[in-house]
Parts: sequence; C-alpha cells; structure tokens
Amino acid sequence: MSDQTLDPVTFEVLKNSFITSVDQMAEQILRTCYSFVMYNRDFSSALHDAEGNSAAQGNQDIAVHVGTLHFTCKAVIEAFKGDMHPGDVYCTNDPYAGGTHFSDVRLIRPIFHEGKVIAFSQSNGHWSDLGGSVPGSFDVTARDMFREAVRITPIRLFHKGRFCADVANMIAANTRDPASIIGDIHSQAQATQVCEREILRLVDKYGVDTVTNGLSSVQDYVERAVRQRISDLPDGVWETQDFIDQDPAAGEGMIPIKVKMTIKGDRVTYDFTGSHPTIGSIYNSAFGATFSAVAAGMKTFFPDLPLNSGFYRVFDIVAPEGSIVDAKWPVAVTGFLMPFEKIMNAIYEMWSQIIPERAIACAFNLEYLLTGGQDARTPEKPIFMFYDWLPGGWGGRNGKDGSNMTTACFGTGLMAQPVEGQERANPILTTRFEAETDSAGPGKWRGGVGVRKVSTMLDSANTVISYICDRERAVVWGIEGGLPSMPHGLTLTRAGKEPEWLGATFSDVPIGPGDEFDRPTAGGGGFGDPLERDPEKVLEDVIDDYVSVERAAKDYGVIVIPVDPEICEYRLDLEATKAEREKIRAARLDWFRKPPEDVAEDYRNGKIDMLDAVRRHAVILDWETGELLPNSTAQFREMFEKRTAAAWA
Amino acid sequence: MQNLRVAVDVGGTFTDICIMDETTGKIRIEKTASSVDPIDGIMSGVEKAEIDLSKVALFSHGTTVATNALITRRLPRAAMVCTQGFRDVIEIRRANKEDLWDTYKDVVPPYIPRRDRMTVPERVNAAGEIVTPLDEDAAREVARILKRRGVAAVAVCFMNAFMNGANEKRMKEILQEAMPDIPVSTSSEVLPEIFEHERFSTTVANAVLSPVVVDYTRRLGERLTADGYTRDLLLLHTGGGVMTPKSVEDFSARLAGSGIAAGAIASRHIAMLCGYRNSIGLDMGGTSTDVSLAYHGQSRVTKDWFIEYGYPIRFSSIEVLTIGAGGGSLAWTDEAGSLRNGPQSAGANPGPACYGNGNTEPTNTDANVVLGRLGTSLAGGKITLDPKLAEGAVDKIASSFDLERHAAANAIIQVANANMSDAVRLISISRGYDPRDFALVAFGGAGALHGAAIAKELSIPAVIVPPNPGVTSALGCLLVDMQHDFSESFIAGATTCDPAEIEAAFVRMEKEALERLTHEGVAQDDIVLQRSVDMMYQGQWRSLAVDAPSPVADMAPLVEAFHSEHKREYNFRRDETPVSLYRLNLKATGIVPKADLEIHEPTGARPEPKTRRLVWFEGDAPSDTPIYERDDLPAGFELTGPAIIEQFDSTTVVPPGTKMEVDKYLNIIIRIEAAA
Repeated sequence: MSDQTLDPVTFEVLKNSFITSVDQMAEQILRTCYSFVMYNRDFSSALHDAEGNSAAQGNQDIAVHVGTLHFTCKAVIEAFKGDMHPGDVYCTNDPYAGGTHFSDVRLIRPIFHEGKVIAFSQSNGHWSDLGGSVPGSFDVTARDMFREAVRITPIRLFHKGRFCADVANMIAANTRDPASIIGDIHSQAQATQVCEREILRLVDKYGVDTVTNGLSSVQDYVERAVRQRISDLPDGVWETQDFIDQDPAAGEGMIPIKVKMTIKGDRVTYDFTGSHPTIGSIYNSAFGATFSAVAAGMKTFFPDLPLNSGFYRVFDIVAPEGSIVDAKWPVAVTGFLMPFEKIMNAIYEMWSQIIPERAIACAFNLEYLLTGGQDARTPEKPIFMFYDWLPGGWGGRNGKDGSNMTTACFGTGLMAQPVEGQERANPILTTRFEAETDSAGPGKWRGGVGVRKVSTMLDSANTVISYICDRERAVVWGIEGGLPSMPHGLTLTRAGKEPEWLGATFSDVPIGPGDEFDRPTAGGGGFGDPLERDPEKVLEDVIDDYVSVERAAKDYGVIVIPVDPEICEYRLDLEATKAEREKIRAARLDWFRKPPEDVAEDYRNGKIDMLDAVRRHAVILDWETGELLPNSTAQFREMFEKRTAAAWA
Repeated sequence: MQNLRVAVDVGGTFTDICIMDETTGKIRIEKTASSVDPIDGIMSGVEKAEIDLSKVALFSHGTTVATNALITRRLPRAAMVCTQGFRDVIEIRRANKEDLWDTYKDVVPPYIPRRDRMTVPERVNAAGEIVTPLDEDAAREVARILKRRGVAAVAVCFMNAFMNGANEKRMKEILQEAMPDIPVSTSSEVLPEIFEHERFSTTVANAVLSPVVVDYTRRLGERLTADGYTRDLLLLHTGGGVMTPKSVEDFSARLAGSGIAAGAIASRHIAMLCGYRNSIGLDMGGTSTDVSLAYHGQSRVTKDWFIEYGYPIRFSSIEVLTIGAGGGSLAWTDEAGSLRNGPQSAGANPGPACYGNGNTEPTNTDANVVLGRLGTSLAGGKITLDPKLAEGAVDKIASSFDLERHAAANAIIQVANANMSDAVRLISISRGYDPRDFALVAFGGAGALHGAAIAKELSIPAVIVPPNPGVTSALGCLLVDMQHDFSESFIAGATTCDPAEIEAAFVRMEKEALERLTHEGVAQDDIVLQRSVDMMYQGQWRSLAVDAPSPVADMAPLVEAFHSEHKREYNFRRDETPVSLYRLNLKATGIVPKADLEIHEPTGARPEPKTRRLVWFEGDAPSDTPIYERDDLPAGFELTGPAIIEQFDSTTVVPPGTKMEVDKYLNIIIRIEAAA
C-alpha cells in the first residue's frame, strides 16, 4: 500500500496517463511490427513499478498475456539487479519463469530517474518463428522443450543504448525468419521507449515521488474495487472440471482439469487439486500461464475494471506441482492454450452461477493449422509458412444467443486473417470459408455458429501440415440444459482419393498439390433447454441457414415448412411443433442413457450422425471408425448429466 | 449577380446555415431546429434566413443522412453476390471484438443479413488469373431471384477482384439486364484494394447507402432548383472535399461521416489564416469532443475508420478522434473512491443539473457555473442556468472527497481537461508531432471554456477561438474544394519494381480523376493532383504515406522520403532494410475559389466590460473578473487575463496573467506562456 494519499485529481490524471502511455506503446507496435501474428494483435504491453508489479496494461491486450507480465518483469529484475543502466533493454520468453510459451517474447526497459530505477516498460509479442523442429515452433509431438523452440532466459539486448547485435543475431540465427526477428526487436524496443518518454514527462510535471506513489496507488485502487465486489458476494464453494481430449502417450480417456473455487470474505481461491499430471504432448501449462488463465477467466466477470497487479492480489491459486497446470522444465508447454482455455471455460461456468446476469456456456476451442514447405508457383521455390487460425462460436448467454464466428476466448482482439493475403503469400487456394450450418450448440439461447474452411494445395514441394486443436472428444458443452455443439477435427482429401479423418491433433503429415484440407470450428454451447426456445427464433435461424430444417426439428422440436425458399418464405407449424416437443421431452432421458455400444452401432450403420451421437446420446466415438471410446464417453456423460440433463425439468 | 455562398450543416438538434457574401466577405449565421426529414429543416432555414437562392453561386452541405441510415439500419433491402464459398466474409469480419472483456457486448450485425447474401461459381486467383469463369447460368438465376425479392441495391463482391474485375463486371451486367433500375456496386470499382473484408465492407456500405443518399440528394436538389438555385448541390464527404450528386450515385459511402470532417476543415482553415500551418482542432460539444490535426496545412487522413466497429469504410477520411467528454459529461465517484469524468453524459435532455430538467448529478457545465466561468444566462438569454442546482450537484463530489465546493468544481474540470489532453496527445505526440509547434483551435459550444487550460497542459503556445465557435462546422462546409481520392494496390519491392509501371498506374488514375472532375464542371486550370505512395519496411504490416513526384522516374528519393517519415513518426529508421510499396494514392482536387473572410481594421476602441463577477481559476481564492461581450471586442483589442468573454453560442476563458488579442478576422488569440 502506498504511504500517502494522492489528491483525487492527481490520482485520476496519473491513472489515465499510465494507461495512455501503455496504449501508445501498443499503437506503435501495431504500426511497426513484422510478425504477422503480432500484427493480428497477439501482443501486450505493460508499465511496472520498480518492483516489477504491473501498474497498467493495455486496453486492447490479448487476454492470454494478462497476469504474466509482472512475472517476467520480476525475472528480469532478479537477473540484472545491480547491473541495470539507462538505455538497457532486456529480453525473455521463458515459460518456466512466468512466461506463456516460447513464441511470446518480452522486451523490458528499466526507466531511470537520477540514476535510480523508478519503473519498467514491457512489450510482449508473438514472434513468427523461434526455431524448433516445425515452422512456427509448434511441434505437437514434442515431449520436452528441446524440440520446441529457443528458450530465452533473461538477456540484455541493448546495453546503455547500444544494440547488442551479437546476442540478437544469435537468437535470430536460430529461427526461420531472422530478418523479421531483428525487425521486431527494434519495433518492441522502440515501443518501450515511448512509454519511458511519457513516464519521464509525468515525473517532470508531478515530481518523482508523486509518480512512484501513483504507480502503487493505482494497484491499491484496483485491489480495493475487486475486494469490494467480492465481499458483496455470498461466501461459498463451487467445483467443476473440464477436459483435454487425450494424452497421446497414454490410453483412451480424457485428461481432467479440476477446479474448486472458494469465495471467503473478500478473497477467492482456485484449487486445482485432482488435476491430471502433465501429459505426453505440448498441451501442458506452466504456472505463469495457469495464473493468466485464472486472471483472464475471472476478469471476464469484472469487465470494466482496469487490469494490474492489484487485481492479482485478490486471488490465490493452489496448483499441484507437476500437474498439467504446473508443468516444470523441461516439459513441453507450447500448446498451453489448450489447458488455458479449459481453465477459462471452467471459471466461466462457476462464475455463471454466482453472477447469472453474465452467465455464458462453453466457447469453441482455439485451433491453429501450420503448413510449411516450398512454394513451387515460382522457379525459385521460396520457403512458405502458412499459419492459420479460425474464429468459432461462443457460448449461449442468459437472454442472448452466443456470438457467431468470433475469435477464441484466449484473446478476442486477435484478428482472423484475410484469405487474399494468405493466397498471395502461400500456394494455397481457399474454396470455402463460411458459417457452418447446425454447428451452434442448441439451447433456449443457442451458441454462436462456427465456420468451415476448405483449402486446396497448389504447386508446392516438401510440404507438411500440422494441426493444433482440441475438443474432438471433450466437445464444447452447454449449460442450464443447453446442448453441446460438435466435435472438432480435420479431414484430408488427397487428390483423387477418399477423405481421411485426421482428427484434432496431428503433426508433420506430408501433403502435395491438389490435396484438400477441410476443418470446421465448433459453435458455442447452448444455454437453457432448446425445447424452450422461441420457435420464431428457430424460424429466423432457418431462413438464414444457421440451422437446417432437419435439425430445427431434431434439436429444437420446431417444425418449419419451406413455402417459397427462393424469396425466404418459410412457415412454422405450431401444432406439429408442440407435438414434436412433447415427444422429445418424453424420450430424451432414455436417449441420453442408451447403452453407448448401441449408439456406436447406430453410428456405424449410418442410422445416426455425429451430432446425434453427441447431442442426443452424449456418446464419444472415434469419428472415423465409429468405435466407442468408453472412458471418454463415461466422462462426457458425467458432465452432461450435471450441466444439461439435470436442468431438464 | 450570384454573390452568395451558402453552407448547411445538419446536426441532430440544430441545422446551421452559414451565408457568406462574396463581395464583402461578411458571414451571417442562421440556426434552426432540425426536422425529421432534414430537407424540411434546411428549406425552412433558407426561408428564415431570407436567402434568394437565385443569387447563390455555391450551395454546400454536410449531412448526417448516410451515417444515421447506417446506425439506425433504416436501409432498404439490399443483397450481396459473392464468390461461391465466401458468403459470410462481412459477417466473419476479422472476428475480433471491440470490447475484449465484456462477453455480453457484441459487434453489431452486418448491413446485409445472411439470407440476402447469394453466391455464384467463379474464382480469380492471387495472380489475377480467372481459374473458374463466371457461371453465367447461375448468375442469371441469382439475378432472377433477387428481382423476385425486390432488392433495392446489390453489392458484387468477388475474391481477388482487385486484381481482375472481369467476373464482377460481367455479374453486374447480368444483374442490370434483369433489374435495370437497381444500383449495383462492384468491389473492383469501389475500392480496388487487397483484403476481402475491408473491400467488401466498403462496397456493401456503398450499396446499401446508394438508394438512401441518391434519393436524398435528388429531393434536396429539386427543392433548391424549384426555389431558384441554378448550380449543382455540393456534398461534403469524409475526405474533406465536396462532390456533386452525380458522383454520389457511384460513391455513396463517401458521405458516411460527412459532418465530422467539416469541423476539421474549418479549424485548419482558420489556423492557416492566423498564420499557423500546424493546428489541432478541439471541437467540444455537449456530449463529446472531436480532435483533429493539420500538419503543414494538410489535415491528417486515415483509411482506418468505420461508422460502426467491425465494418470498415476504406475511403480516405479526415482523421478525427472522438472522446466522450463534453459539457454534459457526468462527474462521478467510482466504487474504489476515484473521481471520474464521463463518458456518460446528461445529454441535451435532461442536461446538466443547472438546466433544472431533473438531472441532479454534476456535469462539467455545472462545475463551470460554480466556478463562475460560465454565466447563468446563455444563448442571448434563451437559456437560464440555476447556480443553486449546479452547487447542489457539485457538492456531491465535494462531500465524497471532503473538498470545499470550488475545489471540487475545479477537480471536476481538471479531470475533464486531463482526459481531453490525453486524446490530443494520442493524435499528436504519439504520431510524432510536437504540440509546441501547433496552435489549438477551440470551438464547439464548450471548446473555448477549456481551450486555454488544455493548451497549457500540452505546452501549445496559442489558442484560437473563431468568431462563431458554435457554428464553425458550417463554416467548414463553405471552405471546401471538389475532391476525389483514388487508390490502387501496388505490392512490390521499392528497389526491384519498375518506376514506369508506377507511373503508368498514376497516369491511369489521373485520367479517371480528370474525367470525373471535368464531368462535375471543374475547369482544367483548377485541378490539382497529389500523388502519394504507401510504403513500409519489407516485412512490416502497416504502411506510411509518402508524397510522390510526377512523373515517377527514380525510386531513390521516394525511399529516402520513407526513411525520414518513419523516423519522424516512430523515432527510428532502418536504412539497411529493404523497403516495399503497398498502395498508390491520388488526391484529385478541383479548386473552388475561396472568398476572403471579412477583414476588420483595428478601431482602437477600449470597450468596457459589461459586468464583473467572482471567478475561480487555479488556487483557492476567486478573482474579481471582468466579463466582456464578444460582439463589443474590435480587431486589435488586447487584454491580460483574467477575463471571461461571453457570446451567443460560447464562452471564452482567459486565465489570470494570460494575454489575448483579437485579430483582423475577429478571432480571439490566447497566448499561452510556456510552463515554468
């Protein structure tokens, strides 16, 4: 706590100026960066006090970085204590020291006043490549960090204003995109200077004591505000779990992440006891990333509060050492976003019960696809690296459908890429990028719809494809009686061959000209009983083809009669709807309890499809062969019972 | 003799009409209430001002019709025809959200719903080759269906059409065969630039607005003609110029945001007259403040803007930063005990507490009343403010912070000023401009109350308060030229590209520009063409515009100009790094002769203050302050503050110890001493 109170005007002015100084850094990054991932807004900026605590973060920072910047600032302080100089800039990407994954590289500048460090500015951005075995540095088969990327423990990139080209070049030389790496170092280092300039201006105007007092006062301010709101809520304990699809190094069965949340007085505790040990893939999270997931999940329920270390003082985390939420060196963690989004959604679910006016069902899971090789459209055959991510549906809400086709919850500022830019840079032709009919989880308030993107390889050589996704089995779920959406998974159709299901996670599959890859993203989970959805809303969804006539009947029990579809004329049969809804209501518990083997049999015989298996029967199969996955089904059914069936009156 | 110029700025509450006599330079202002159909308001204003339309040489108009139609979605049914597989580009957008954390706040839906987004088989690849020809049977089928649906406009949006617009062109022909009277916008004509969402979104805005604005300009034109006007109606667009109804037909979306540009133009022009080529416009009204910037006599333009988040309109627009700080902005204490100001506002109704219309929360206006900076009789006595109500509202803040009443009012104003200063900083310092090289033009109803304090905060040496601060935007409509902006994607390395190709592209755009301006009746001698090239370091994602010569023969000077512009804007340059070209731009201006504003000779008169009152500035004690009537102040008049200058639509604060003078155009110039 700060030792003296600032007058209200000075405090408010400093608070806003700190945020403006950080937003100015962000603006400069957007305009000068090289990494296209950063350009699409995967970056963050912060201003820290002299101890490394965050005093301000950017308004548009990506969610996944919140709650990690103070860790990396402190790691840098620890490394360079007593040896810092004006004009220095340090750098780290170490996930085992509070970072997220190796791709997120942080540049940190000490801000001096009269020979003393008074603050730090930090710019963190996702670089296009950091080496490792796969372009883009995402090898899903990695078991430890040595295959993943270059680990940068705290280093010095500028010494008293002089660029340490030797060190920078050594890092760049270990990546596939050295020119961009050097460019981004300059872009980020310069951005931290923008913040320094603003802070020194404030020091000039208000004096150093007032500014350093301000840096701690703004944290106290946020802490007070959060504590105030928490203490207004009833004490209690909430528990839930979400799953990663599988451990590729182990047998069938989903990987649980368990969270128990306790509110007591003005504090919240998140206890991950019972969560699975780290697994044999990159889908593990180190502590920094887990901390960030908790902060981001909770912040979603306090959207108006500024973010800084004051917010982080209000909660505690218990994370069992060596578990999937507390991976230690050298366990692979590049895919930390998979546990990250599970934690976020678990937190959404628990807070939805506490603050029902902000309730939200599960959002689709982030997916990204990497294709790299040689572009044979020109004789020089340059290397290309196609790195793509898609939007999907968000969960249904209390009184509102979910958001259609929106960026994943790890950071809603992240932009989808233009196909025209991708086609220019890569030998790929996209043939479809549209909303996926029936992808939305049905509910009284349905989930948002997902998309489907289909792309064909053009002239290329030595090309491989990798896919980093999840929720092929731990399918996006509904709450309050709402239904799940649909499984993730990529289908590859080689030129002139039959389609093959490759699923949600694979690496380094060779592909060539004429091969087509097709992947949907899930919609959001449904909120509330779909049989209670206003038939008029179902009708509108049918006219826009977000929902098909067939599934309007199956999922919602709403009978829509096409009259003259050419001019959008459809009609509701309300009598038939009433009867259909009665029928479903009477049968649905039996459908849900139908022996899983029988469901698998029906699927293999083509009697039911994937959506029927998931939505009607809560059964998880190998979607290619139709083989039953008994452990995953048991886990899925347990949660379906709690989240969905229990709410069907 | 046609010696009158008339400019009309239609706002939400008032329609302002600015009438200038070219022979004398005299300006007269008429204010009238806006009407449901803005044309009725305009015509009744014209009548009220007793304008003889047959004597009008130029009638220009800034309109909110397009902006309002988009925001309220009062749009006719329009359809989109897309490449098969790409029906949802405008709904997917870039998939990001404006509010990152509030899961209950959505981006608004697109202007054309999914049901009216049709597709046809066709495809152009990244190199501009047609890999799938347009399926003409399918195209005719789409045309037939859209005719049955009775759509009023169509946007044709095909992938990579910026490289080759042939399929779009053919689709347009087929649509026009079926529906000859329906406007069709194609993305390759509207905005031939890479990136499908930005291009399609602009094209869709253009298509949906077309029936709305064409109808509007036709009806207004007819009414004006019927009453004697003989020339073309001129419409202000966001790029800061005007265009004729003929061009509006093809580029309707250029009228979106029309009104906002007017203030920026006026501010730039007034600053130029006062000898400042660099100026910052601060247009503070009741609920918000618009900040704009002109550098070396040119307004900053951007292509990165929208009327509603998620739906970019990529036409050049004067850059205006709007923040939620105005006279009606509310001061409040948040749950953690911090003093906040805005963005919530008491609006025009109920308005500030002192209006006595039921709001009891303190606003900036209330604080200014408590401090004595604002008098209690506004608009020539039409509005009376109740100081007791202002005091009661401000006392709420005083008690939460344990402050004396005037200290609380001062605190409210200081927070508001700091917020506006931050906005000015974002548009100036963070773009590499030093405010010390600028003048601040303070206008709008409340700009002159706050201008001096903001200038002091930012070390801006001079504040200019124009003669009629409340209607400066209407004046902006009078001061414009005909202007069209053209652009083409041109993606190449700066050292490897062929300058002849660049030259050819510029020549092509210039030919189109000349045709369009000639068609609008501009004489050859009055046409000015300005070329620029958007460039970036190879590997960067955002570009910077650099002025280009005519002809372009050698790349070296362009590359050097880019390095130095990058250094100015971002404080670093990388001479060893290759530079790329991204886009070619052409600004084509048809100069409309500007009438000179009336010049006033110093009279040497020393008008007496109309009264005196206690006014609180910084510090605890009030100053006994002279209150002047603006109309009394002649050119050449000087004083040293404290002083308050009141006029019909505005109040100017001159802080203690600060010098001010009245120039020959009757602008008030306040000289701000550099902070010690």
